[in-house]
Amino acid sequence: MWLWYDWRAAAVADDSGNIMDVEQWDGFFDERTVVQRLECIAAKGLTPEAIILKERFPEAKVRVHGELDLPDADWPLPDSDAQTAVDAAALAMANRGVAQAAGDPDRRLEHLMRASDELRSTFLTMEARLVEWVGLFLPEARFGKDRSSLGRLVGDAESLEHLSQTLEVSLPPVGPSKPEWKVLKEWGASVAVFRGQLDRMENGIRALAEEHLPSVSALLGPLLAARLSVEAHGRMRLARLPAGTVQVLGAEKAFFNHLKTGAPPPKHGHIFMHPWISRSPRWVRGKISRTVAARASIAAKVDAFEGVPWGEEEMRELDEKVEAIKAAHPRPPSRRN
Amino acid sequence: MSRGNNRRRSDPLSWAVLREGKSIWSINAVPGHSVYGESLRRIQGMECRRWDPTRSKLGAAILRTRNDAALLLPEEGSTVLYLGAGHGTSISHLHDHLCGEGNDLKGRLVAVDLAPRCLRELTHMAKSRPGLVPVLGDARQHAAWGVLIPTKVNWLFQDVAQAGQVDIFIGACRRFLNVGGVGLLSLKAASERWTGEGEAALFAKVEHTLERSGFNIEERIELTGYEDNHVLFHVRRTE
Repeated sequence: MWLWYDWRAAAVADDSGNIMDVEQWDGFFDERTVVQRLECIAAKGLTPEAIILKERFPEAKVRVHGELDLPDADWPLPDSDAQTAVDAAALAMANRGVAQAAGDPDRRLEHLMRASDELRSTFLTMEARLVEWVGLFLPEARFGKDRSSLGRLVGDAESLEHLSQTLEVSLPPVGPSKPEWKVLKEWGASVAVFRGQLDRMENGIRALAEEHLPSVSALLGPLLAARLSVEAHGRMRLARLPAGTVQVLGAEKAFFNHLKTGAPPPKHGHIFMHPWISRSPRWVRGKISRTVAARASIAAKVDAFEGVPWGEEEMRELDEKVEAIKAAHPRPPSRRN
Repeated sequence: MSRGNNRRRSDPLSWAVLREGKSIWSINAVPGHSVYGESLRRIQGMECRRWDPTRSKLGAAILRTRNDAALLLPEEGSTVLYLGAGHGTSISHLHDHLCGEGNDLKGRLVAVDLAPRCLRELTHMAKSRPGLVPVLGDARQHAAWGVLIPTKVNWLFQDVAQAGQVDIFIGACRRFLNVGGVGLLSLKAASERWTGEGEAALFAKVEHTLERSGFNIEERIELTGYEDNHVLFHVRRTE
Protein backbone atom coordinates (compact mmCIF):
# COMPACT_ATOMS: atom_id res chain seq x y z
CA MET A 1 0.00 0.00 0.00
CA TRP A 2 1.29 3.43 -0.93
CA LEU A 3 0.68 6.91 0.42
CA TRP A 4 1.29 9.58 -2.21
CA TYR A 5 1.33 13.28 -1.41
CA ASP A 6 2.18 16.59 -2.96
CA TRP A 7 1.81 20.11 -1.63
CA ARG A 8 -2.01 20.16 -1.65
CA ALA A 9 -3.31 16.63 -1.63
CA ALA A 10 -2.57 13.15 -0.44
CA ALA A 11 -3.90 9.78 -1.56
CA VAL A 12 -3.57 6.14 -0.69
CA ALA A 13 -3.49 3.41 -3.32
CA ASP A 14 -2.92 -0.32 -3.20
CA ASP A 15 -0.11 -2.03 -5.07
CA SER A 16 -2.08 -2.32 -8.29
CA GLY A 17 -2.79 1.41 -8.31
CA ASN A 18 -6.42 1.53 -7.16
CA ILE A 19 -7.04 4.70 -5.22
CA MET A 20 -8.44 3.88 -1.79
CA ASP A 21 -8.61 7.26 -0.12
CA VAL A 22 -7.96 10.88 -1.04
CA GLU A 23 -7.48 13.89 1.15
CA GLN A 24 -7.45 17.34 -0.48
CA TRP A 25 -6.46 20.64 1.05
CA ASP A 26 -9.69 22.65 1.00
CA GLY A 27 -8.05 25.94 1.95
CA PHE A 28 -7.75 28.97 -0.20
CA PHE A 29 -4.37 28.91 -1.96
CA ASP A 30 -2.85 31.96 -0.35
CA GLU A 31 0.79 32.47 -1.13
CA ARG A 32 2.13 32.31 2.39
CA THR A 33 0.56 28.97 3.21
CA VAL A 34 1.60 27.46 -0.13
CA VAL A 35 5.17 28.58 0.50
CA GLN A 36 5.02 27.01 3.97
CA ARG A 37 3.84 23.74 2.48
CA LEU A 38 6.55 23.74 -0.20
CA GLU A 39 9.18 24.40 2.44
CA CYS A 40 7.79 21.61 4.55
CA ILE A 41 8.13 19.21 1.61
CA ALA A 42 11.63 20.46 0.82
CA ALA A 43 12.58 19.68 4.41
CA LYS A 44 11.23 16.14 3.82
CA GLY A 45 8.26 16.75 6.10
CA LEU A 46 4.63 15.65 5.74
CA THR A 47 1.74 17.92 4.79
CA PRO A 48 -1.37 17.98 7.02
CA GLU A 49 -3.25 15.83 4.45
CA ALA A 50 -0.48 13.24 4.42
CA ILE A 51 -0.50 13.14 8.21
CA ILE A 52 -4.28 12.49 8.25
CA LEU A 53 -3.95 9.61 5.80
CA LYS A 54 -0.89 8.26 7.57
CA GLU A 55 -3.01 7.94 10.69
CA ARG A 56 -5.75 6.18 8.73
CA PHE A 57 -3.34 3.85 6.94
CA PRO A 58 -0.33 3.41 9.20
CA GLU A 59 1.03 0.54 7.11
CA ALA A 60 1.18 2.55 3.84
CA LYS A 61 4.61 3.46 2.46
CA VAL A 62 4.86 7.24 2.32
CA ARG A 63 6.27 8.76 -0.89
CA VAL A 64 6.32 12.34 -2.10
CA HIS A 65 5.08 13.00 -5.63
CA GLY A 66 7.48 11.83 -8.32
CA GLU A 67 9.39 9.20 -6.41
CA LEU A 68 10.42 6.35 -8.62
CA ASP A 69 9.02 3.37 -6.74
CA LEU A 70 5.43 4.72 -6.62
CA PRO A 71 3.08 2.62 -8.72
CA ASP A 72 1.15 4.23 -11.57
CA ALA A 73 -2.20 5.41 -10.32
CA ASP A 74 -4.73 8.12 -10.89
CA TRP A 75 -3.25 10.41 -8.26
CA PRO A 76 -5.23 13.62 -7.64
CA LEU A 77 -2.89 15.98 -9.53
CA PRO A 78 -3.30 19.76 -9.22
CA ASP A 79 -5.67 21.58 -11.57
CA SER A 80 -4.66 24.72 -13.39
CA ASP A 81 -5.72 27.05 -10.54
CA ALA A 82 -3.59 25.12 -8.10
CA GLN A 83 -0.75 25.14 -10.59
CA THR A 84 -0.94 28.92 -10.94
CA ALA A 85 -0.92 29.26 -7.16
CA VAL A 86 2.12 27.06 -6.74
CA ASP A 87 3.99 28.86 -9.53
CA ALA A 88 3.42 32.15 -7.74
CA ALA A 89 4.62 30.59 -4.49
CA ALA A 90 7.73 29.23 -6.21
CA LEU A 91 8.53 32.69 -7.51
CA ALA A 92 8.06 34.15 -4.03
CA MET A 93 10.36 31.50 -2.59
CA ALA A 94 12.99 32.23 -5.22
CA ASN A 95 12.75 35.93 -4.45
CA ARG A 96 13.16 35.27 -0.78
CA GLY A 97 16.13 32.99 -1.35
CA VAL A 98 17.79 35.70 -3.42
CA ALA A 99 17.09 38.27 -0.71
CA GLN A 100 18.54 35.99 1.93
CA ALA A 101 21.78 35.75 -0.02
CA ALA A 102 22.41 39.36 1.01
CA GLY A 103 22.77 38.17 4.58
CA ASP A 104 25.42 35.62 3.64
CA PRO A 105 28.63 36.76 5.39
CA ASP A 106 30.75 34.79 2.91
CA ARG A 107 29.53 36.92 0.05
CA ARG A 108 29.81 40.12 2.04
CA LEU A 109 33.35 39.26 3.04
CA GLU A 110 34.25 38.46 -0.54
CA HIS A 111 33.07 41.85 -1.79
CA LEU A 112 34.87 43.67 1.02
CA MET A 113 38.06 41.74 0.40
CA ARG A 114 38.10 42.13 -3.37
CA ALA A 115 37.15 45.79 -3.12
CA SER A 116 39.96 46.45 -0.71
CA ASP A 117 42.42 44.63 -3.00
CA GLU A 118 41.33 46.73 -5.95
CA LEU A 119 41.47 49.92 -3.95
CA ARG A 120 44.89 49.09 -2.58
CA SER A 121 46.39 48.49 -5.99
CA THR A 122 44.91 51.76 -7.28
CA PHE A 123 46.09 53.58 -4.18
CA LEU A 124 49.65 52.30 -4.44
CA THR A 125 49.93 53.28 -8.10
CA MET A 126 48.53 56.73 -7.42
CA GLU A 127 50.75 57.26 -4.42
CA ALA A 128 53.87 56.25 -6.35
CA ARG A 129 52.90 58.68 -9.08
CA LEU A 130 52.38 61.44 -6.51
CA VAL A 131 55.86 60.91 -5.05
CA GLU A 132 57.42 61.06 -8.52
CA TRP A 133 55.35 64.06 -9.48
CA VAL A 134 56.13 66.13 -6.39
CA GLY A 135 59.77 65.00 -6.66
CA LEU A 136 59.94 66.50 -10.15
CA PHE A 137 59.08 69.96 -8.88
CA LEU A 138 60.81 69.68 -5.50
CA PRO A 139 63.90 67.57 -6.23
CA GLU A 140 65.29 68.11 -2.77
CA ALA A 141 62.31 66.63 -0.99
CA ARG A 142 62.90 63.20 0.48
CA PHE A 143 59.92 61.14 1.59
CA GLY A 144 61.73 58.01 2.66
CA LYS A 145 59.47 55.32 3.93
CA ASP A 146 56.85 57.49 5.47
CA ARG A 147 54.67 58.69 2.66
CA SER A 148 51.52 58.51 4.69
CA SER A 149 50.98 62.24 5.06
CA LEU A 150 52.20 63.31 1.62
CA GLY A 151 48.78 63.09 0.01
CA ARG A 152 47.24 65.24 2.69
CA LEU A 153 50.08 67.76 2.57
CA VAL A 154 49.77 68.20 -1.19
CA GLY A 155 46.01 68.34 -0.99
CA ASP A 156 46.07 71.00 1.70
CA ALA A 157 48.86 73.15 0.21
CA GLU A 158 47.78 76.47 -1.34
CA SER A 159 50.62 76.51 -3.83
CA LEU A 160 53.97 74.92 -4.56
CA GLU A 161 55.67 77.61 -2.45
CA HIS A 162 53.45 76.71 0.42
CA LEU A 163 54.26 73.01 -0.02
CA SER A 164 57.99 73.65 -0.21
CA GLN A 165 57.80 75.58 3.05
CA THR A 166 55.95 72.73 4.74
CA LEU A 167 58.47 70.21 3.47
CA GLU A 168 61.34 72.62 4.28
CA VAL A 169 62.96 72.43 0.87
CA SER A 170 63.94 75.13 -1.60
CA LEU A 171 61.83 76.04 -4.59
CA PRO A 172 63.21 75.28 -8.07
CA PRO A 173 63.29 78.11 -10.66
CA VAL A 174 60.61 76.57 -12.86
CA GLY A 175 57.36 75.42 -11.34
CA PRO A 176 54.07 74.03 -12.59
CA SER A 177 51.59 76.24 -14.37
CA LYS A 178 48.43 77.14 -12.50
CA PRO A 179 46.17 74.44 -13.99
CA GLU A 180 48.97 71.89 -13.66
CA TRP A 181 49.32 72.65 -9.94
CA LYS A 182 45.62 72.37 -9.50
CA VAL A 183 45.63 68.87 -10.98
CA LEU A 184 48.56 67.84 -8.82
CA LYS A 185 46.84 69.18 -5.72
CA GLU A 186 43.68 67.26 -6.54
CA TRP A 187 45.72 64.14 -7.13
CA GLY A 188 47.20 64.51 -3.66
CA ALA A 189 43.76 65.02 -2.18
CA SER A 190 42.47 61.81 -3.78
CA VAL A 191 45.47 59.86 -2.51
CA ALA A 192 44.61 61.07 0.99
CA VAL A 193 40.96 60.12 0.51
CA PHE A 194 41.90 56.64 -0.71
CA ARG A 195 44.14 56.10 2.26
CA GLY A 196 41.34 56.86 4.68
CA GLN A 197 38.93 54.72 2.69
CA LEU A 198 41.35 51.82 2.72
CA ASP A 199 41.70 52.01 6.50
CA ARG A 200 37.97 52.05 6.98
CA MET A 201 37.58 49.13 4.60
CA GLU A 202 40.09 47.05 6.55
CA ASN A 203 38.25 47.86 9.75
CA GLY A 204 35.10 46.60 8.08
CA ILE A 205 36.82 43.37 7.10
CA ARG A 206 38.22 42.96 10.61
CA ALA A 207 34.83 43.42 12.23
CA LEU A 208 33.08 40.97 9.90
CA ALA A 209 35.86 38.37 10.06
CA GLU A 210 35.96 38.44 13.85
CA GLU A 211 32.26 37.82 13.92
CA HIS A 212 32.14 35.22 11.14
CA LEU A 213 35.47 33.45 11.74
CA PRO A 214 36.25 34.05 15.43
CA SER A 215 38.62 31.12 15.90
CA VAL A 216 40.66 31.57 12.74
CA SER A 217 40.79 35.30 13.48
CA ALA A 218 42.06 34.67 17.00
CA LEU A 219 44.73 32.37 15.61
CA LEU A 220 45.94 34.22 12.54
CA GLY A 221 44.43 37.68 12.76
CA PRO A 222 41.18 38.76 11.11
CA LEU A 223 42.63 39.97 7.83
CA LEU A 224 44.41 36.72 7.08
CA ALA A 225 41.38 34.74 8.25
CA ALA A 226 39.18 36.68 5.85
CA ARG A 227 41.67 36.19 3.03
CA LEU A 228 41.75 32.42 3.53
CA SER A 229 37.99 32.17 3.70
CA VAL A 230 37.47 34.19 0.54
CA GLU A 231 40.16 32.27 -1.30
CA ALA A 232 38.50 29.00 -0.29
CA HIS A 233 35.10 30.34 -1.53
CA GLY A 234 33.39 30.46 1.81
CA ARG A 235 33.70 29.38 5.40
CA MET A 236 32.12 25.97 4.90
CA ARG A 237 34.46 25.13 2.06
CA LEU A 238 37.44 26.32 4.06
CA ALA A 239 36.40 24.01 6.85
CA ARG A 240 36.18 21.08 4.48
CA LEU A 241 39.59 21.66 2.95
CA PRO A 242 42.46 19.49 4.15
CA ALA A 243 45.15 21.31 6.09
CA GLY A 244 47.64 20.77 3.27
CA THR A 245 45.40 22.77 0.95
CA VAL A 246 44.97 25.54 3.51
CA GLN A 247 48.76 25.70 3.67
CA VAL A 248 49.13 26.43 -0.04
CA LEU A 249 45.92 28.45 -0.60
CA GLY A 250 47.04 31.45 -2.62
CA ALA A 251 50.05 29.64 -4.08
CA GLU A 252 48.05 27.91 -6.79
CA LYS A 253 50.41 28.91 -9.55
CA ALA A 254 53.43 27.38 -7.85
CA PHE A 255 51.41 24.38 -6.77
CA PHE A 256 50.16 23.48 -10.22
CA ASN A 257 53.57 24.17 -11.64
CA HIS A 258 54.81 21.61 -9.15
CA LEU A 259 52.24 19.06 -10.30
CA LYS A 260 52.99 19.74 -13.94
CA THR A 261 56.77 19.99 -14.02
CA GLY A 262 57.86 18.41 -10.76
CA ALA A 263 59.33 21.65 -9.45
CA PRO A 264 59.54 21.84 -5.64
CA PRO A 265 56.10 22.33 -4.11
CA PRO A 266 55.27 25.69 -2.51
CA LYS A 267 55.70 25.76 1.25
CA HIS A 268 53.10 28.41 1.94
CA GLY A 269 50.38 30.46 0.30
CA HIS A 270 48.54 33.34 1.93
CA ILE A 271 49.57 32.20 5.42
CA PHE A 272 53.05 33.47 4.55
CA MET A 273 51.65 36.89 5.46
CA HIS A 274 51.65 35.86 9.08
CA PRO A 275 54.80 36.94 10.96
CA TRP A 276 55.18 33.42 12.40
CA ILE A 277 56.20 32.42 8.90
CA SER A 278 57.43 35.54 7.16
CA ARG A 279 59.61 36.56 10.12
CA SER A 280 61.08 33.10 10.65
CA PRO A 281 64.29 31.84 9.09
CA ARG A 282 63.89 30.31 5.67
CA TRP A 283 64.65 26.73 6.68
CA VAL A 284 61.84 26.41 9.24
CA ARG A 285 59.13 28.21 7.26
CA GLY A 286 57.86 24.98 5.68
CA LYS A 287 57.63 23.21 9.04
CA ILE A 288 55.96 26.16 10.73
CA SER A 289 53.48 26.72 7.94
CA ARG A 290 52.50 23.07 8.06
CA THR A 291 51.79 23.32 11.81
CA VAL A 292 49.99 26.63 11.49
CA ALA A 293 47.87 25.43 8.58
CA ALA A 294 46.87 22.29 10.44
CA ARG A 295 45.77 24.37 13.42
CA ALA A 296 44.00 26.95 11.24
CA SER A 297 42.14 24.17 9.49
CA ILE A 298 40.80 22.90 12.82
CA ALA A 299 39.88 26.46 13.78
CA ALA A 300 37.96 26.81 10.52
CA LYS A 301 35.99 23.68 11.37
CA VAL A 302 35.20 25.08 14.80
CA ASP A 303 33.86 28.25 13.16
CA ALA A 304 31.93 26.57 10.38
CA PHE A 305 30.16 24.17 12.71
CA GLU A 306 29.69 26.89 15.31
CA GLY A 307 31.70 25.39 18.16
CA VAL A 308 33.06 27.31 21.11
CA PRO A 309 35.32 29.93 19.51
CA TRP A 310 39.03 29.73 20.17
CA GLY A 311 40.80 32.56 21.93
CA GLU A 312 44.05 33.63 23.49
CA GLU A 313 44.82 30.26 24.98
CA GLU A 314 44.88 28.33 21.71
CA MET A 315 46.87 31.15 20.14
CA ARG A 316 49.52 30.87 22.88
CA GLU A 317 49.62 27.10 22.53
CA LEU A 318 50.38 27.39 18.84
CA ASP A 319 52.88 30.15 19.51
CA GLU A 320 54.76 27.81 21.83
CA LYS A 321 54.78 25.10 19.20
CA VAL A 322 56.14 27.50 16.64
CA GLU A 323 58.84 28.63 19.04
CA ALA A 324 59.71 24.99 19.73
CA ILE A 325 60.16 24.33 16.03
CA LYS A 326 62.39 27.36 15.72
CA ALA A 327 64.41 26.28 18.76
CA ALA A 328 64.85 22.76 17.38
CA HIS A 329 66.30 24.07 14.13
CA PRO A 330 68.53 26.98 14.99
CA ARG A 331 70.82 26.58 11.97
CA PRO A 332 70.16 25.93 8.32
CA PRO A 333 70.48 22.28 7.36
CA SER A 334 73.82 21.44 5.85
CA ARG A 335 73.93 21.26 2.10
CA ARG A 336 75.76 17.95 2.15
CA ASN A 337 74.17 14.52 1.71
CA MET B 1 18.60 43.52 -56.38
CA SER B 2 19.55 40.44 -54.46
CA ARG B 3 21.16 37.67 -56.37
CA GLY B 4 19.71 34.23 -55.82
CA ASN B 5 22.85 32.58 -54.43
CA ASN B 6 23.55 35.54 -52.20
CA ARG B 7 20.29 35.45 -50.32
CA ARG B 8 20.47 34.08 -46.82
CA ARG B 9 18.55 30.91 -46.33
CA SER B 10 15.84 31.39 -43.80
CA ASP B 11 13.82 28.60 -42.35
CA PRO B 12 11.37 28.60 -39.45
CA LEU B 13 12.10 26.08 -36.69
CA SER B 14 8.85 26.74 -34.88
CA TRP B 15 6.15 29.36 -34.77
CA ALA B 16 8.51 31.65 -32.85
CA VAL B 17 12.02 30.63 -33.81
CA LEU B 18 13.56 31.41 -37.16
CA ARG B 19 16.98 30.45 -38.42
CA GLU B 20 18.47 32.81 -40.93
CA GLY B 21 21.90 31.80 -42.16
CA LYS B 22 24.11 31.85 -39.11
CA SER B 23 21.77 33.70 -36.82
CA ILE B 24 18.66 32.63 -34.97
CA TRP B 25 15.76 34.89 -34.10
CA SER B 26 12.88 34.37 -31.71
CA ILE B 27 9.69 36.40 -31.57
CA ASN B 28 9.95 38.63 -28.52
CA ALA B 29 7.40 37.76 -25.84
CA VAL B 30 8.01 41.14 -24.21
CA PRO B 31 8.08 43.53 -27.18
CA GLY B 32 10.46 46.43 -26.84
CA HIS B 33 12.69 44.74 -24.27
CA SER B 34 16.02 43.15 -24.89
CA VAL B 35 17.03 40.74 -22.13
CA TYR B 36 20.83 40.59 -22.29
CA GLY B 37 21.66 43.30 -24.82
CA GLU B 38 20.80 41.28 -27.92
CA SER B 39 19.62 43.13 -31.01
CA LEU B 40 15.95 43.48 -31.84
CA ARG B 41 14.60 43.43 -35.37
CA ARG B 42 11.28 43.29 -37.11
CA ILE B 43 10.75 40.22 -39.21
CA GLN B 44 7.42 40.05 -41.08
CA GLY B 45 5.87 42.53 -38.70
CA MET B 46 6.89 40.68 -35.56
CA GLU B 47 9.61 41.95 -33.26
CA CYS B 48 12.36 39.38 -32.90
CA ARG B 49 15.32 39.01 -30.59
CA ARG B 50 18.63 37.69 -31.86
CA TRP B 51 19.60 34.45 -30.13
CA ASP B 52 23.31 34.71 -29.40
CA PRO B 53 24.85 31.25 -29.90
CA THR B 54 28.04 32.23 -28.06
CA ARG B 55 26.05 32.83 -24.90
CA SER B 56 23.53 30.04 -25.13
CA LYS B 57 24.48 26.41 -25.58
CA LEU B 58 21.03 25.61 -26.84
CA GLY B 59 21.45 28.31 -29.47
CA ALA B 60 24.86 26.95 -30.42
CA ALA B 61 23.40 23.46 -30.72
CA ILE B 62 20.65 24.69 -33.02
CA LEU B 63 23.27 26.05 -35.38
CA ARG B 64 25.59 23.08 -35.09
CA THR B 65 23.17 20.17 -35.35
CA ARG B 66 23.20 18.11 -38.52
CA ASN B 67 19.67 16.87 -37.94
CA ASP B 68 16.52 18.93 -38.05
CA ALA B 69 17.08 21.70 -35.50
CA ALA B 70 13.37 21.84 -34.75
CA LEU B 71 13.79 18.54 -32.93
CA LEU B 72 15.84 20.30 -30.26
CA LEU B 73 12.96 22.54 -29.26
CA PRO B 74 10.09 21.44 -27.03
CA GLU B 75 6.51 21.47 -28.13
CA GLU B 76 5.08 24.94 -27.56
CA GLY B 77 2.67 25.28 -24.68
CA SER B 78 4.08 22.28 -22.82
CA THR B 79 5.80 22.05 -19.46
CA VAL B 80 9.56 21.66 -19.58
CA LEU B 81 12.36 21.38 -17.04
CA TYR B 82 15.59 23.28 -17.31
CA LEU B 83 18.36 22.43 -14.83
CA GLY B 84 21.20 24.89 -14.41
CA ALA B 85 19.39 27.98 -15.59
CA GLY B 86 22.34 30.36 -15.38
CA HIS B 87 21.64 33.97 -16.23
CA GLY B 88 18.67 33.12 -18.36
CA THR B 89 19.94 33.66 -21.88
CA SER B 90 18.67 30.37 -23.24
CA ILE B 91 15.72 30.56 -20.88
CA SER B 92 14.49 33.82 -22.37
CA HIS B 93 14.45 32.48 -25.92
CA LEU B 94 12.97 29.21 -24.81
CA HIS B 95 10.25 31.19 -23.09
CA ASP B 96 9.57 33.11 -26.32
CA HIS B 97 9.00 29.80 -28.03
CA LEU B 98 7.19 27.99 -25.26
CA CYS B 99 4.90 30.64 -23.83
CA GLY B 100 4.66 33.59 -26.21
CA GLU B 101 3.48 37.01 -25.23
CA GLY B 102 1.61 37.01 -21.89
CA ASN B 103 1.83 33.20 -21.88
CA ASP B 104 -0.88 32.85 -24.53
CA LEU B 105 0.25 29.29 -25.16
CA LYS B 106 0.01 28.25 -21.48
CA GLY B 107 3.53 26.88 -21.40
CA ARG B 108 5.48 26.28 -18.21
CA LEU B 109 9.22 26.54 -17.94
CA VAL B 110 10.59 25.35 -14.62
CA ALA B 111 14.14 26.69 -14.30
CA VAL B 112 16.33 25.42 -11.46
CA ASP B 113 19.61 26.95 -10.40
CA LEU B 114 21.71 26.85 -7.27
CA ALA B 115 23.25 30.32 -7.36
CA PRO B 116 21.31 33.25 -5.88
CA ARG B 117 23.21 35.52 -8.24
CA CYS B 118 21.69 33.77 -11.25
CA LEU B 119 18.25 33.58 -9.69
CA ARG B 120 18.30 37.34 -9.26
CA GLU B 121 18.17 37.77 -13.03
CA LEU B 122 15.61 35.02 -13.43
CA THR B 123 13.15 36.28 -10.85
CA HIS B 124 13.36 39.68 -12.45
CA MET B 125 12.64 38.14 -15.84
CA ALA B 126 9.78 36.07 -14.45
CA LYS B 127 7.91 39.25 -13.56
CA SER B 128 7.45 40.15 -17.21
CA ARG B 129 7.31 36.59 -18.51
CA PRO B 130 4.45 34.57 -17.03
CA GLY B 131 4.99 30.83 -17.38
CA LEU B 132 8.60 31.05 -16.24
CA VAL B 133 8.99 29.44 -12.81
CA PRO B 134 12.41 30.10 -11.29
CA VAL B 135 13.49 27.76 -8.51
CA LEU B 136 16.40 28.31 -6.18
CA GLY B 137 17.63 24.83 -5.47
CA ASP B 138 20.07 22.05 -6.12
CA ALA B 139 19.50 20.11 -9.34
CA ARG B 140 20.24 16.93 -7.42
CA GLN B 141 17.67 17.48 -4.71
CA HIS B 142 14.55 16.48 -6.56
CA ALA B 143 12.37 16.29 -3.48
CA ALA B 144 12.74 20.02 -2.81
CA TRP B 145 11.13 21.14 -6.07
CA GLY B 146 9.78 17.97 -7.66
CA VAL B 147 6.21 18.78 -6.60
CA LEU B 148 6.27 21.72 -9.02
CA ILE B 149 6.16 19.25 -11.90
CA PRO B 150 2.84 17.42 -11.67
CA THR B 151 3.31 15.18 -14.70
CA LYS B 152 6.44 14.02 -16.46
CA VAL B 153 7.75 16.37 -19.10
CA ASN B 154 8.70 15.70 -22.70
CA TRP B 155 11.71 17.96 -22.79
CA LEU B 156 14.50 18.35 -20.25
CA PHE B 157 17.65 20.38 -20.57
CA GLN B 158 20.62 20.23 -18.25
CA ASP B 159 23.63 22.50 -18.11
CA VAL B 160 25.11 22.34 -14.64
CA ALA B 161 28.88 22.14 -15.28
CA GLN B 162 29.74 20.30 -12.10
CA ALA B 163 31.27 16.94 -11.37
CA GLY B 164 28.90 14.04 -11.91
CA GLN B 165 26.84 15.89 -14.52
CA VAL B 166 25.91 12.65 -16.23
CA ASP B 167 24.58 11.00 -13.09
CA ILE B 168 22.58 14.10 -12.25
CA PHE B 169 21.12 14.01 -15.75
CA ILE B 170 20.23 10.33 -15.62
CA GLY B 171 18.62 10.74 -12.19
CA ALA B 172 16.58 13.73 -13.30
CA CYS B 173 15.41 12.03 -16.50
CA ARG B 174 14.26 8.92 -14.62
CA ARG B 175 12.14 11.05 -12.35
CA PHE B 176 10.90 13.80 -14.64
CA LEU B 177 11.19 12.76 -18.29
CA ASN B 178 8.56 10.72 -20.11
CA VAL B 179 9.60 7.64 -22.01
CA GLY B 180 10.10 8.91 -25.54
CA GLY B 181 10.87 12.43 -24.28
CA VAL B 182 13.83 14.49 -25.41
CA GLY B 183 16.74 15.08 -23.06
CA LEU B 184 19.52 17.53 -23.79
CA LEU B 185 22.70 17.29 -21.77
CA SER B 186 25.32 19.97 -22.17
CA LEU B 187 28.57 18.40 -21.06
CA LYS B 188 31.58 20.41 -20.06
CA ALA B 189 34.68 18.26 -20.35
CA ALA B 190 36.58 20.27 -17.76
CA SER B 191 34.01 19.52 -15.07
CA GLU B 192 34.57 15.81 -15.24
CA ARG B 193 37.49 14.03 -13.70
CA TRP B 194 40.37 14.04 -16.12
CA THR B 195 41.27 10.48 -16.99
CA GLY B 196 44.29 11.34 -19.09
CA GLU B 197 42.81 9.82 -22.21
CA GLY B 198 41.63 13.01 -23.81
CA GLU B 199 38.28 14.58 -24.41
CA ALA B 200 37.15 12.23 -27.16
CA ALA B 201 37.52 9.25 -24.82
CA LEU B 202 35.62 11.08 -22.11
CA PHE B 203 32.73 11.91 -24.41
CA ALA B 204 32.65 8.36 -25.71
CA LYS B 205 32.48 7.07 -22.15
CA VAL B 206 29.57 9.37 -21.38
CA GLU B 207 27.82 8.18 -24.52
CA HIS B 208 28.26 4.60 -23.38
CA THR B 209 26.91 5.39 -19.90
CA LEU B 210 23.85 7.09 -21.37
CA GLU B 211 23.14 4.19 -23.72
CA ARG B 212 23.41 1.73 -20.90
CA SER B 213 21.01 3.77 -18.76
CA GLY B 214 18.15 3.56 -21.23
CA PHE B 215 18.76 6.45 -23.58
CA ASN B 216 19.01 6.47 -27.30
CA ILE B 217 21.64 8.91 -28.50
CA GLU B 218 20.07 10.91 -31.30
CA GLU B 219 23.08 13.11 -31.86
CA ARG B 220 26.27 14.28 -30.25
CA ILE B 221 26.58 17.96 -31.11
CA GLU B 222 30.03 19.50 -30.86
CA LEU B 223 29.79 23.12 -29.78
CA THR B 224 33.43 23.95 -30.57
CA GLY B 225 33.66 27.47 -31.87
CA TYR B 226 30.76 28.73 -29.81
CA GLU B 227 31.58 27.04 -26.53
CA ASP B 228 34.90 25.21 -26.50
CA ASN B 229 35.31 21.81 -24.83
CA HIS B 230 31.56 21.36 -24.68
CA VAL B 231 29.30 18.89 -26.38
CA LEU B 232 25.56 18.66 -26.24
CA PHE B 233 24.01 15.22 -26.16
CA HIS B 234 20.60 14.98 -27.74
CA VAL B 235 19.02 11.83 -26.35
CA ARG B 236 15.65 10.19 -26.25
CA ARG B 237 14.52 8.15 -23.28
CA THR B 238 13.68 4.63 -24.33
CA GLU B 239 12.85 2.85 -21.09
